[in-house]
Amino acid sequence: MAKVLQINYQKCTGCRLCELVCAVAHDGKSNPARSRIKVMKWEAEGLYVPMSCNHCQDAPCMNACPVKAIYRDEELGRVMVDYDVCIGCRTCVAVCPFGAMSYNTKDKKVFKCDFCDGDPQCVRFCEVQAIEYVDAEEVSIEKKREAAERLSVAGKEAAVLFGQL
Amino acid sequence: MTVTDRDKSTAESLRATRTYGKVRCHNPTCMGRLQPKPGDKTIKCDRCGMEYRIAWVKKGFPRIRGPVWDVNKKIAEESLAKKMKEGK
Amino acid sequence: MPLNRKIAYIDLSTGSIETKPIPLEIRKKFLGGRGLDAYLLYNHTKKGCDPLGPDNTLLVSGGILTATCASATARTHVMAKSPLTGLLGSANMGGFFAPEMAWAGFHHLVIKGKAKHPVYIYIHNGEIEIRDARDLWGLSVTETQWAIREELGDQEVKSMVCGPAGENLVRFANVMTGIKNSGGRTGMGCVMGSKNLKAVAARGTMDIDIAHPAEALEFNKRFIDQITSAKVNQTQGTLGTPFIWGATNSWGGIRCRNFQYNQCEYADDIEPERIDEICEETMGPYHMTGCFGCQVHCRAQYKIPEGPYAGRYDEGPEYTSQGAFGGEPDTPRAVTVLTGNHLVDQFGMDNLETGSLISWAMELYELGIIDSKQTDGLDLRFGNDEAVLEMIERICYRKGWLGDTLADGGIAASKKIGKNSFDYLIHVKGMSNLHSDERATPALALNIALSSRGSDHLRSRPAIDLYHLPEEVLRKIYSSPVPYDGPLSSEHTEYIGKAWQVFWQENCYMAVDCLGICKYHTTFLGATLPNFEDWPKVLYYNTGIEMTPKEIWDVAERCNNIERLFNLREGLKKDDPEKGDVLNHRYHDEPTKRGAPDVVGRVIDKKKFLEMRAEIYEHKGWDENGVPTPETLKRLGIDKEPSHLL
Repeated sequence: MAKVLQINYQKCTGCRLCELVCAVAHDGKSNPARSRIKVMKWEAEGLYVPMSCNHCQDAPCMNACPVKAIYRDEELGRVMVDYDVCIGCRTCVAVCPFGAMSYNTKDKKVFKCDFCDGDPQCVRFCEVQAIEYVDAEEVSIEKKREAAERLSVAGKEAAVLFGQL
Repeated sequence: MTVTDRDKSTAESLRATRTYGKVRCHNPTCMGRLQPKPGDKTIKCDRCGMEYRIAWVKKGFPRIRGPVWDVNKKIAEESLAKKMKEGK
Repeated sequence: MPLNRKIAYIDLSTGSIETKPIPLEIRKKFLGGRGLDAYLLYNHTKKGCDPLGPDNTLLVSGGILTATCASATARTHVMAKSPLTGLLGSANMGGFFAPEMAWAGFHHLVIKGKAKHPVYIYIHNGEIEIRDARDLWGLSVTETQWAIREELGDQEVKSMVCGPAGENLVRFANVMTGIKNSGGRTGMGCVMGSKNLKAVAARGTMDIDIAHPAEALEFNKRFIDQITSAKVNQTQGTLGTPFIWGATNSWGGIRCRNFQYNQCEYADDIEPERIDEICEETMGPYHMTGCFGCQVHCRAQYKIPEGPYAGRYDEGPEYTSQGAFGGEPDTPRAVTVLTGNHLVDQFGMDNLETGSLISWAMELYELGIIDSKQTDGLDLRFGNDEAVLEMIERICYRKGWLGDTLADGGIAASKKIGKNSFDYLIHVKGMSNLHSDERATPALALNIALSSRGSDHLRSRPAIDLYHLPEEVLRKIYSSPVPYDGPLSSEHTEYIGKAWQVFWQENCYMAVDCLGICKYHTTFLGATLPNFEDWPKVLYYNTGIEMTPKEIWDVAERCNNIERLFNLREGLKKDDPEKGDVLNHRYHDEPTKRGAPDVVGRVIDKKKFLEMRAEIYEHKGWDENGVPTPETLKRLGIDKEPSHLL
């Protein structure tokens, strides 16, 4: 079954280890500029948001590619680049609404998240579990649970208040 | 390269001695292992009589928050008075 | 090829910039970071140079592992002759600066001279530029960093800056990066200020080659498991460094009211759990943050809940701020600690030195050694929160007689104040002590007395001495990589075997500083964290350099000896009350009054202390005056220093 990356930015500590291991795992070099995942930061407020490819169903990069080098790998549910076909025009970089497609000036290639063929290293190294690799169907279940808990707490508090009246 | 991945270093092998769910008495010569019951707010050391307030880092992971002031202050004062007497 | 990293020589007087590769032989001798800095400092400063003059050399570096695939190796090291002590100036900080500098092409900077007007250095993908910083002068630590990003149009730029305190030549001004990462001791920010250097900014997208990427990645995972399995790091990752407050305060290891008490009584409001509650109210349940590539995430985020600075965002407070603005001045209220911490972060000033000196002044005020005329009417009694916060600002801007006096550091201030004020100054080599009280722990007392940069807990503290680990465990740790079959004691009040522990720790901490690793990832607060036996693998997989644990130990010993040579050259004498390896007389004369039963009534026995000191000199291969013997220097291959190889 296809899995997806689930990012909970509130848990992110902003350490950027995901960027480091992503670059080393893919390119064997330490350089966050080579990372498929990037933590965007608002340091003055302490806000850190990891950004990566969402492997969109109706992927703009795939649709816009003039040579059809971008395809969907159904097995892992990921959007991939076929480098034999890719001409390096960077149209995909321009159209991606998330900035998830990047361009490597050293190898002269576009690059993006490929789920590390099913074992995402960013997930493996994220100790606080700000990034998780979960079944696509389960993606909202935790959110539902959290929201339900908030509702029930609010409900209980309301009941207490009501009792005090 | 002499490096082999199998070898455990001293520090790594010491990990086996780790205990969870317990705290150590803060009295340095006592260091008795105390095991608060889940949710306990204070604990008294049977060995030396010091008493502590407990906080829970997470479930099953207690931590001493600080002393129960009045108890520990009394113990300190008695002990100091005794030592000063011995010293003279 | 791995290690394609450079060193840059920047002369601010002439604007000349020269870059060189760092030869492998030098790497093997000094690794990088603090060790290589020490070598450079010894080679590039002349004896007796003015710390605030153009001849002082400011060194900025990352460790040899910085920006490789090894966790928590983001430490930036800064070194120069200290304007506070006149001896070695050395500070180490976390954050994101050193890796960024590495990706911009440089691992070491040697900054000399003095710019004619405020400037900042911008390093970008192998190029270095000296830029005008007249607009930035006067800005706070964070304002400066955001202004540089604005000017360069790049939000990813990381800067290392000095704040207003550095500009005003406060002798214990910090270099800072990010919100609160501080190169916080010995006044390195003051050296920046004296050079008219407001900031060093870096931005890089250059590759750092990893010698064996797959192995490096896998070994890093193993390293992380070792680190995150330590209880101490799990607690630290939840509460930050204040987590040690509970233990040290309950047994009586906190310095309170300058040095009058060894416990801050009823300090429940500044306990980490209390601070945690306040942070959670303003920042949500996940309010921890970390340095580059670190899983310990020991920094709390907070917003000041009330008072004139309500709503301001900052990070910390660290354990040192609890002591500096809570314990020592006896103002144990969370909001004071949070506000004090915020002020020193914005001014770029050493929280520890600031808090210590204010508390010292408070004791002098209560004793009548200084009066309200000298404080310009400020009621400087212990427990006065407003006076503490007011003094922080006065010191930074050198306002009033006392603010200006304290800004020159303890020893200079004691000369200006006169009377017997020096007797109350809790310092070693002119640098104030951490808010810790070492009277019950001879090992820790020896550590602060011997530390190369003056009283300090991060240079040789055998903190695990307090855990009463079984002797065989201590032996396992302390007899590797160099065999040791002398005595060791699990008893923290003992004097025997402690000299070896301090010696071992000193080499351990030097090694991590050379590698660029954070001290929370070695035998500091936890006994199960990596040390000499683990490092050769990390080093080999990442850089391809093959070294044995013993060779890394030798590097550490070599660098420690160079630091000693520097200190001796600048006038260290072992029994000098101002620059010696000695403690304040109160350690020996005044017994502790509070704490656990076996901690009260303790002093450091002077005779035993001196024996212990002679013992550590012997371990180090120094003569009875604390001078490295010619044989020691020869053994370590530094008998021809300064050798000017780099």
